Amino acid sequence: MSTAIATLGLTRRFGSIAAVNGIDLNVPENSVYGFLGPNGAGKTTTIRMLLGLLRPTQGEIHLFDLSLKENRAAILSKTGSLVETPSLYSHLTGFENLEVLQRLMNIDKSHIARVLSVVRLEQDALRPVKQYSLGMKQRLGLAAALLGEPRLLILDEPTNGLDPAGILEMRKLLQTMPEEHGITVFLSSHLLSEVEQMATHIGILNAGSMIFQGPLKELQSRRHEHLYLETDNPHAAMSLLAGREWLCNPDGSSGLKVEIRNREETADINKLMVQNNIRVFQLSLIQSSLEDIFLTLTNSDGEKSS
Amino acid sequence: MTAFLRALGTEWLKLRRTLALWMIVVAPLIVVLLQFFIGYDRMKVPENIQAWPMFVQSSCALWAIFMMPLYITLETALLNNIEHSAKSWKQLFALPIPRASLVAAKMLTSFLMIGLSTVVLCIAIVIFGKLLSFLRPQFLMEGIPVELIATKAFLPFVASWLIIAIHSWISARWQGFALSLGVGIGAVFFAVFASGARAGAFYPWLFPLNSLGDERSFIALTVGSIGGILFAAFATWDVTRRDVL
Repeated sequence: MSTAIATLGLTRRFGSIAAVNGIDLNVPENSVYGFLGPNGAGKTTTIRMLLGLLRPTQGEIHLFDLSLKENRAAILSKTGSLVETPSLYSHLTGFENLEVLQRLMNIDKSHIARVLSVVRLEQDALRPVKQYSLGMKQRLGLAAALLGEPRLLILDEPTNGLDPAGILEMRKLLQTMPEEHGITVFLSSHLLSEVEQMATHIGILNAGSMIFQGPLKELQSRRHEHLYLETDNPHAAMSLLAGREWLCNPDGSSGLKVEIRNREETADINKLMVQNNIRVFQLSLIQSSLEDIFLTLTNSDGEKSS
Repeated sequence: MTAFLRALGTEWLKLRRTLALWMIVVAPLIVVLLQFFIGYDRMKVPENIQAWPMFVQSSCALWAIFMMPLYITLETALLNNIEHSAKSWKQLFALPIPRASLVAAKMLTSFLMIGLSTVVLCIAIVIFGKLLSFLRPQFLMEGIPVELIATKAFLPFVASWLIIAIHSWISARWQGFALSLGVGIGAVFFAVFASGARAGAFYPWLFPLNSLGDERSFIALTVGSIGGILFAAFATWDVTRRDVL
């Protein structure tokens, strides 16, 4: 499979601090690549380098197997971007905002109507952007990114500041990109739960370094899930579980946190409790957060090196 | 080149419904109106004095020393803050067109706007001069001294290129109005004191006024125009090469 983005040892220092430290990105074409990391991990710095807005201190960037340094215009004509907040002129209408870009890119004016319909803003296109809601602005920003018929979308925190309905809408829009439009989507986020629902591939950045990169399934297989188990007799439950080699810790007065390897084990645990006359009040999966994944990934690295 | 012309076109599109666009007309109009009311207020004039040259020269001098430098300050700041407040440099610089064409188009737009205001200044002088001659027939204001008006209005414009370039650079490079307005107001304030000094011949903010005089006009026009073009080239290079954070 050919790659949309490949970097080699990409590094950017600000003074003595390495904001991005030797990362090797590998984004397959037609994937939705979730670029994860806590705030300050270097996601935005990386994205700015991918768009040629920041010069790398070291390393190489290839988009569509072309060097960004030597083929800037050719690459950028296939790339649409939305970095942090959308760049919109609030005194102009939505249509006029797109018209500015359309004229600069020297493309047909019909593209404006096309992208407005993709993000469903036709009705509001003639209103000034200062009257737009945050979600509408974000959608207009996406429309701007789609205007030049890109093959790659680079989006920095595209759901930032959106309400749940807006997030859902954005997610649906982005998910359709690879199949319906043949567009590779590279998006950054600090929320695993959000990216998990649309990404096919994941890269995790922590303090400027990649700590994981690969298909979503691989990440899911590497992380340990936890159950929350509430019973009438936590002590008995705990010793029962320990006897079957399930790791568990008390969580609250009558609850236990049990580490499981796969979802089927939930049923096994339930059966075990019922068979031993322990009444189960609650049995639920605890969604692991990005922080948990970091701990798991950094711990397993520690184990490897020790 | 075509990218540059397209960028220039979008600059005018972006000016729709902005204060910056109104200022093209408002700034010169204020100056001429002020001179008109001063003239209207003055009931007696020495006999056989031609009032046209007085009206033209006082309008253009007030424009050159005071209003134009302040207007350049405000106009360049407004023009560049369209981009800063929309945070749009990151979007524009990620487009598949040369960055320099975008920066140069923005800079040329500043020059064109001041040029347009100069045209407005000429038109306003003609209109209010005629109105004054109608309301105050005792002033001797016959015909329209086209050549005088054009010369006195356009010489300061040519001499102002250097300060247009300096202010375009400041407001493109640093966002917000604080630095641009600080430099602009400070420089005009300083010009009032510098005008009497010998070194005033080399002070860029006095070039527009100096261009109207005799002895200092050569320096003002050559350094102002050539220096302006050179500084604009430097500013375009400097803003283009910078990282967009």
